[in-house]
Amino acid sequence: MKSLSIFVLFILITSSLYADDEKYTKAMKKNISQIDSAATVEEIINTANKFERIALAEKDKWLPYYYASFMYTLASYSETLNEKKDAYLDYADKFVITADSLEQNNSEIYTLKGMIAQARMQIDPMNRWMKYGSIADNAFKRAIELNSLNPRPHYLVGVGLFYTPEQFGGGKAAAKPHLEKSFQNFNEYKLENDLLPNWGKNMVEALLKEIE
Amino acid sequence: MKLFLLLCFIIFSQLVFAQTRVSGKVTDTNNNPLPGANIFIKDSYDGISSALDGKFDFTTEEEGDVILIVSFIGYKQVELPLTLTGKKIELEITLEEEAKVLGAVVISAGAFEASDENKAVILRPLDIVTTGAEADIYSALETMPGTQQVGEAEGLFVRGGSAAETKTIVDEMIVQNPFYSSVPDIPSRSRFSPFLFKGTVFSTGGYSAQYGQALSSVLVLKTQDLAPDTRTAINLMALGLGAAHTQRWENTSLAFEGGYYNLGPYFEVQKQRTEWKKAPESFEGSLNLRQKAGGTGMLKAFASHSYSELSLFSPNLNDLTIKDFFKMTSNNFFFNTNYRDILGEDWAVFGGYSFSTDNDNIGLTTDHVTQNEQLHTGKVTITKNVTANSFLTFGGEFQNIIYKDVFNGFQFMQNELYLGGYIETDIFFTNDFAARIGVRAEHSKLINKYNFAPRLSLAYRLGQYDQLNFAYGQFYQTPTRDFLVYTQDFDFEKAAHYIFNYQYIGGNRTFRIEAYYKDYDKLARGTVYTYPYFNLPVIPFSSTGSGYAKGIDIFWRDSETFEFTDYWLSYSFLDTKREFKNYPSIASPTFATPHTFSVVLKRWVQSITTSVGITYSFATGRPYFNPNNPEFLGDRGKNYNNMSLNVSYLTTLFDSFTIIFFSVDNLIGYNNVYGYRYSDNGKLRMPVLSPALRSAFIGMFISLGKAYPF
Repeated sequence: MKSLSIFVLFILITSSLYADDEKYTKAMKKNISQIDSAATVEEIINTANKFERIALAEKDKWLPYYYASFMYTLASYSETLNEKKDAYLDYADKFVITADSLEQNNSEIYTLKGMIAQARMQIDPMNRWMKYGSIADNAFKRAIELNSLNPRPHYLVGVGLFYTPEQFGGGKAAAKPHLEKSFQNFNEYKLENDLLPNWGKNMVEALLKEIE
Repeated sequence: MKLFLLLCFIIFSQLVFAQTRVSGKVTDTNNNPLPGANIFIKDSYDGISSALDGKFDFTTEEEGDVILIVSFIGYKQVELPLTLTGKKIELEITLEEEAKVLGAVVISAGAFEASDENKAVILRPLDIVTTGAEADIYSALETMPGTQQVGEAEGLFVRGGSAAETKTIVDEMIVQNPFYSSVPDIPSRSRFSPFLFKGTVFSTGGYSAQYGQALSSVLVLKTQDLAPDTRTAINLMALGLGAAHTQRWENTSLAFEGGYYNLGPYFEVQKQRTEWKKAPESFEGSLNLRQKAGGTGMLKAFASHSYSELSLFSPNLNDLTIKDFFKMTSNNFFFNTNYRDILGEDWAVFGGYSFSTDNDNIGLTTDHVTQNEQLHTGKVTITKNVTANSFLTFGGEFQNIIYKDVFNGFQFMQNELYLGGYIETDIFFTNDFAARIGVRAEHSKLINKYNFAPRLSLAYRLGQYDQLNFAYGQFYQTPTRDFLVYTQDFDFEKAAHYIFNYQYIGGNRTFRIEAYYKDYDKLARGTVYTYPYFNLPVIPFSSTGSGYAKGIDIFWRDSETFEFTDYWLSYSFLDTKREFKNYPSIASPTFATPHTFSVVLKRWVQSITTSVGITYSFATGRPYFNPNNPEFLGDRGKNYNNMSLNVSYLTTLFDSFTIIFFSVDNLIGYNNVYGYRYSDNGKLRMPVLSPALRSAFIGMFISLGKAYPF
């Protein structure tokens, strides 16, 4: 009798724990599946809001913060007003800093930091390249150092070069090896679980196609 | 059996949960819908974003007492306690704008700001380098309204004020001599590279109580923080060469810079009107340290030293058979260290110390002069958030100025101790209305006087992009040394500013119009030997001078209308008269003219990765002294015209990012005359001209081993 009650208690506790985890995984998966279809700024912010809700409820998980930050970075690319772009990137920065404090020395988080700096630079390249160019550069270097198999920092370095004039060492030819390395990593890289960042493959393919 | 019942109960209770529907609308304080706001139950996943019409509608499985959070970028977050019972909840939520976010009112009367950090600014740091021909902070600022084109002297002449009425402040501390030692009638360059600074605030009046000892204007420069990365740079110029290395560690950066400049070879090529015996030659070196401390602290230290030498001949108007000789060697040392930190939630502290010593050794035809000026200065500033919408700033500073002068063996010394303290508060009454109220108290040991200066600045936002500003303030300055040498029986010189301004900063267009009135009082008077106003009555020393300046400054900048093109226009109207120094009567001073106009045009040409900048300035003629005219300063010079061009070509050479810079001043070759010098009998005169009709500069700046700037 006693052992039965302990068993029941055990079931109840683990099932509720499992249910919590399942709820998190389910919600995250659902939101991650919506990233690609969010096209307008409104849709992107809605998705960011969803990740933010999970982040604030979970508090100790880095991925919802990562995705909220990522969505705000995407929002800055879709926005047309420069002032709003910076406001979105302020939010992206806020979330990526929390993600970094929860999960230190993570290649994906450094990649995102670099991406945010790249987005800042794009708003006013003439005035900002000195500051944000090297922030992005250093973040991508660190991301590759932490995990050389991560395809995303290679991709973003490639994108940066792709849009840099040839006179400054940019251009298609300079971008190509980085994009190829990224593509190769995408093919070899195995995701440990399907909540981890997995974006970018189609973008690499599109850019590589444009180069050829 | 009991256990079975218990199990049933548990399972049942887990299955049957109440659902509550929460719906409503989110609006701003003007009842406009806010789409994209995040509405959710705290510590749960349940929530939704508001739709385009601001409406939201979601269901939650939470029960009982919960907190509903509504958040949106740029607005204050709302937390609302709710009790969820299964009954539908309907809410009307109004979000208030966060203070100090984009679009909120900014206290800005009188000031032009260049920064990367603040979003509502008129200039960018890069503008300083790409405006005019000289890549010099001061010459770039001469394209801002409120400044005068004074070609024969360095410094900023602001709104009827002399150059001595503008003070340069580096990291909160006053700099005694921001320019290289100068030769009469030839302006000297600024000693600080524009690349040292991340932010510039140029105030043409009505500035904060944090700054004193400037009757007209302050130029506030903020130095860069940690260098972004390790890099080595080489600069090759027609005028000399320089090298710099910056080393970056995790929390530290250290930069060395050295340079050698010699204008001799350039003067061989470009004909000079000035008869140089020895063209200016100089050596410079600097060290720049940045150390991050704790999470929020930043320690900065900067030291620089320069040595320069030059000599020249100038015609002697009283005896054309001889020439006057002038020779100068200078040694300058500058040191500035400061620490800034944030303590807890509400406190920010700043402490700094700066030391400089300037040594000039001057040889004239028959006389020999050595001058040494030392400045020790320290400043402490504390800022405290008082409420969410206000903060208080207070602090104090000292300046110990030691001046030593030896004239043909006669020694003269002066030791001034200046103390200043201030308190100031910034209050955001609403998002649309803000005030800065402050007072400053000062004491000078030398003249043994106190002063008490109130300052006020108001800003009222009219719409999303435009606002009205008003500023009033009293400003004091100790009379310049050339007076204090004779007697210390002076009062502080005084100016009161009244400024009214309308400003529009929207997207990539800026418009600003500012009207001002300035009332000068207690200006130092007296005849000092250095002034070339002979045949004038000798004026006894006193603090009885006075004057006024009034005018309108207009500025327009637009980088939107034409692709890759950025331009600005500025116009200043100035009406000023004063009685000071040895002026026998009230008159418009030699450094003021009624109309000044500038156009700056910049274009980025992507196909050749080149930036081209053209600056054109026009000013009506300035008064000059003619001993033959019974009306004092009754003559007006020629109109001033200058067009300068600068071209920066960005490229990669030997795998290193390289900028090739080329500029020409006075491209058209307009013969500007800055005034006249007369012989003692008034019969002969000589125009004051720039050392060369045109001047050109070419240089190459190479970042070693960095193929691309990113």
